[in-house]
Amino acid sequence: MDIDILARGLVAGSLYALVAVSFNILYRPTNVFNFAQGELVMLGAMVFASLATVLGWPWYAALIVTLLGVGLLTLLIDVVAVAPVLARSQHGTGWVITTLAASLIIANGVNRIWGPDPIVVRPPAPLTTDTFSLAGMTVSAYQIFLVLLTIVLVLAIEQVYRTRQGKAVLAVAEDREAALLRGVNPLRLSHWSFFLGGAFAGLTGVLAAPVLYASTGLGPALLLKGFAAAAVGSIGNNRGALIAGYLIGVTEALGASLLSPGYQEAVVFLLVLCVLLIWPHGLFGRPFARTV
Amino acid sequence: MAASVAKSRSLPGLLAQAALVVLVLALPLALDPNGYALFVATQLGVFVIAAIGLNLLAGYAGQVSLGHGAFIAIGAYATALLTVDHGWSFWLAALAGVVLSALMGVLMALPSFRLSTWYFAFITLAFAQVFEKMIVEWRGLTKGFAGVVGVQPPSVFGHVLDPAGVYWLVAVIAIIGFWLVNNLIRSRFGRGFVAVRDAPAAAQAAGASPARLKMLAFVIAACFAGVAGAFFAVQKTVVTPDDFTAEFSIFFLLTVVLGGLGTRWGPVVGALVFFLVPELLTGLESWRMMVYGAALLALMLFAPHGLVGAARSLFDRLRPKQTEPAAQPAETVPPEAAHVERPAISGLALEVKDLRKSFGGVVALGGVDLSVRPGTCAAIVGPNGSGKTTLLNVVGAYYRRDAGQVLLGGRETKGLSPQQIAGEGLGRTFQTPRLLGELTVLDNVLLGAYRRERASLAGTMLRLPAAASETARLRAEAMELLAFVGVADRADDLASETPHGHQRLVEIARALMGGARLIMLDEPAAGLSMTELDRLEQLIRRILALGATVVIVEHHLDLVASIASHVTVLDRGVVLASGAPQAVFADATVMAAYMGERALNEQAPGQAADDAATGDVSRPRPAPVEGA
Amino acid sequence: MTMASNPGQTGELLLSVENVDVGYGHVGVLEGVSLSVRRGSIAALVGRNGAGKSTLLRAISGLLTPSRGRIVFNGRTISRDKPHVIVGAGLLHVAEGRRLFRAQSVDDNLELGVYGLKLDAADYRRRLARVHELFPVLEEKRGLPAGALSGGQQQMLAIGQAMMREPVLLMLDEPSLGLSPLLVDQVFAAIMALQQAGTTILLVEQLVERALEIASEAWVLQNGRMIASGPAAQISASDELRAAYMAAR
Repeated sequence: MDIDILARGLVAGSLYALVAVSFNILYRPTNVFNFAQGELVMLGAMVFASLATVLGWPWYAALIVTLLGVGLLTLLIDVVAVAPVLARSQHGTGWVITTLAASLIIANGVNRIWGPDPIVVRPPAPLTTDTFSLAGMTVSAYQIFLVLLTIVLVLAIEQVYRTRQGKAVLAVAEDREAALLRGVNPLRLSHWSFFLGGAFAGLTGVLAAPVLYASTGLGPALLLKGFAAAAVGSIGNNRGALIAGYLIGVTEALGASLLSPGYQEAVVFLLVLCVLLIWPHGLFGRPFARTV
Repeated sequence: MAASVAKSRSLPGLLAQAALVVLVLALPLALDPNGYALFVATQLGVFVIAAIGLNLLAGYAGQVSLGHGAFIAIGAYATALLTVDHGWSFWLAALAGVVLSALMGVLMALPSFRLSTWYFAFITLAFAQVFEKMIVEWRGLTKGFAGVVGVQPPSVFGHVLDPAGVYWLVAVIAIIGFWLVNNLIRSRFGRGFVAVRDAPAAAQAAGASPARLKMLAFVIAACFAGVAGAFFAVQKTVVTPDDFTAEFSIFFLLTVVLGGLGTRWGPVVGALVFFLVPELLTGLESWRMMVYGAALLALMLFAPHGLVGAARSLFDRLRPKQTEPAAQPAETVPPEAAHVERPAISGLALEVKDLRKSFGGVVALGGVDLSVRPGTCAAIVGPNGSGKTTLLNVVGAYYRRDAGQVLLGGRETKGLSPQQIAGEGLGRTFQTPRLLGELTVLDNVLLGAYRRERASLAGTMLRLPAAASETARLRAEAMELLAFVGVADRADDLASETPHGHQRLVEIARALMGGARLIMLDEPAAGLSMTELDRLEQLIRRILALGATVVIVEHHLDLVASIASHVTVLDRGVVLASGAPQAVFADATVMAAYMGERALNEQAPGQAADDAATGDVSRPRPAPVEGA
Repeated sequence: MTMASNPGQTGELLLSVENVDVGYGHVGVLEGVSLSVRRGSIAALVGRNGAGKSTLLRAISGLLTPSRGRIVFNGRTISRDKPHVIVGAGLLHVAEGRRLFRAQSVDDNLELGVYGLKLDAADYRRRLARVHELFPVLEEKRGLPAGALSGGQQQMLAIGQAMMREPVLLMLDEPSLGLSPLLVDQVFAAIMALQQAGTTILLVEQLVERALEIASEAWVLQNGRMIASGPAAQISASDELRAAYMAAR
């Protein structure tokens, strides 16, 4: 068997893990799973590609503008599409429809602006996408960087939840009313989380662009594989998402090489379905779910 | 769901309505015979058929599916491949398509048993994406991108239908489908679906299995999609993978939401607006998705019940104001219950031995024994948090026990589901009444009869005479039970709009409707006024007089003292005392648990028993002191 | 406990609920209910299950909005304020059933008790030490998830969490719930210690006699209406209490 599969799986898995973490960030205080997240990742890739490749901005300037832009758009989604629905009913699923609607709007808008042609994005020097051989695998410096950076990012995000505000977010996730009675303002936390989760999605798009190219069709596939990683790794659990991301990336690469590339999605789908049927809360589920 | 529709329809009225429908349906023909309008109208009919099925699934049974397009694809491909390549007749091929689609529905239902709503929505979306890929991938079967070309129209009585004929056929099938689903949602299945959506515990208490009902909704929705798919193939004559993208699936859910989830006309209105409006706005073609997105967003924010819901509330506002119902007073005096003769009930015995249940570090039941003789009233009392409701929930199998025995009528109930135990004759009410707010009080009582109804699914959907007469009989019985509990005048009110005290009585009627032989009442007197309390006491006495066994959890000690023949006092998950009410309530330990005398003053358990007025108070073991 | 945030005179009205109606949807629960709590006192709110006690506390803490009437705390009207604003004003509600964050550690739960307060490290340590002094078990189990504690320990954690904030007025809903008599003694001792340190307390308690023993004033709620109020000793012997709570209809 080809050991390159492992390399491909880890690179793709890192991206899925990043999408899953961006899901988790805004899921935690709201219990909302943003269906527009895939399109936000795509938007991040497109904006960065336009600024850095087409307009020739320095990469850090393009990065900052991309993160701010996607973050603010996601905040807007919270204010317009999510918060009003939650204000009416905390337990309804109206947000499924409203975030789907946001997804349609973004996808359509981006298509109108950029059209279907992918844009090639080069990583900032000294990183390159030139491949070389390492321990029998064909890899590039950028791929190694991406895998390592993903681990660093996941650990960094975990640290955020060790702060008092982070603990408050976890508190809201577990029992919103009890958090209210401790003086927590869930709306403020969810606005912040949407902004950060959006910026993180934008960052994921930026990081994905050199590997996948920036194209308007990225959204749906990343949405579903990001969801798969989040669900298999247990929603809200970022380390779980990292491991599940690798698991899915490698499974997908295996499926593509053993069967045919067309079966990638099907293999991932079956994996997720089996995991969720056996462990409905994922592989790393919460030990103290409410019993009442 | 709308309140029950007026039954009296005159024949001329019906004829006029039918004529109107035919006229409207003939509009596309008049506009543009054999042309584009007809093509669009036929397609709309196909979408309406699929949307009706999805509305049943997502609107009534509450299962949000984003994979509906896949079912349509199965119907379409089966029909196209079998007719074109294998020379099957359309009707046989369509039947095969529907069967395949239904089988896929069974498979899709399985994850919904275990996953929460939106997890499930995601899984179905993923399924739609995978399905889209697989159509292309399985070239050998589906002919890949090229698709299946040259699907012929069906023939009726040896007559090959022209496009207008296909259109009329689709229209007739859509109307029949609408009628079938309407019959279904007004039946026990419809009540069951709504219960699964809004109060699964109430469905189980009525003996309905949420899993089976979900499965049923999936299969019916899949059948509708299969039929739609068959006509989709005929109407387009070509079936390609491009027709069945994941977006196509999402659109169907959006269609139903647009029209109004869980409204009868929602899928019809939604499909018409969703697929017709873009035809009228061809200039906006490239902005189509954005328009949909914006419209949906606006709708969810300002009219969560869709176009039909918005129209209804507008209609309500424009209608001449009726006298506003007065604000509900805190105390509502139910009318004197009518003297209704009810058949005798043979009560069930309940035997609980050493029952244990913990949640995390908290022991809710630490080995509880309870014995209730048939036809008697046993009370469980104790301070809040002592495990009373947990006991009821474990007995009813809503929680799984950690250890111990529960014998109902002498039979061990281990391994039975709550709905199976309900079927054995265990009825219950909930501390917070679990009524289906969108249904009428009468429908809520009828839900109780779920397990007793014999009418088949087909009989129900076709409104066959046997089913209709059973329905009439059960409605009469439900009315009788409402009179028995004293709220007959509320039968047609929405359950969400009935006062709290009445809701409790409706729950009792629902349990009786289910043929309960042992009824567990969880704090039935909480929040009742003195008058309501008297009525409740009378009602429980009359239920006992019929022969049923009653287990009551109640804080109101004088109610307990007056109706119960046996009292069990729980404290922190163990039995503190049990025996005849007079003896138990004279016991100093019990009063200490209730009124909270100091622990230091508390007498040793043995001493207290000696002080008790009569000697028949048993105290199994001293309460353990929780480790600090 | 510091009195800095609590400059008013003992004995003046700290909380007054004036003629409020509260309901859920179509169902009215409270009708024309009034109640007042004097600064520095312990007030008991009693009545049978379903009388509306918890609903009243939820209205005071902003979880429910009264449809009529007004609630004044520390001189300002709070009946339309959001819960976090009311907590910020020094009115804390410990809900029935403890409502801890079960997946988070004991220490994290205590830290969440001071959410939104700007405390220096020394002040935080001082408050934590006070809680640990009263409930040593919370120090022993500091790293465990709250969900792994026993019922009694969880109740101590809930009270400890409230103590961390040093509120002006503390509303406790059924603090004895599910506790053994020995633990109830501890909890009641803690409540009295809090009061002596200057915290005003509104206590909802099913152990009526215990509650009336430590309260100076009592309010009796029945079927959503306040049927009696007065000095606790007087209420303890009153017919209204018997009628609302115990035997004799």
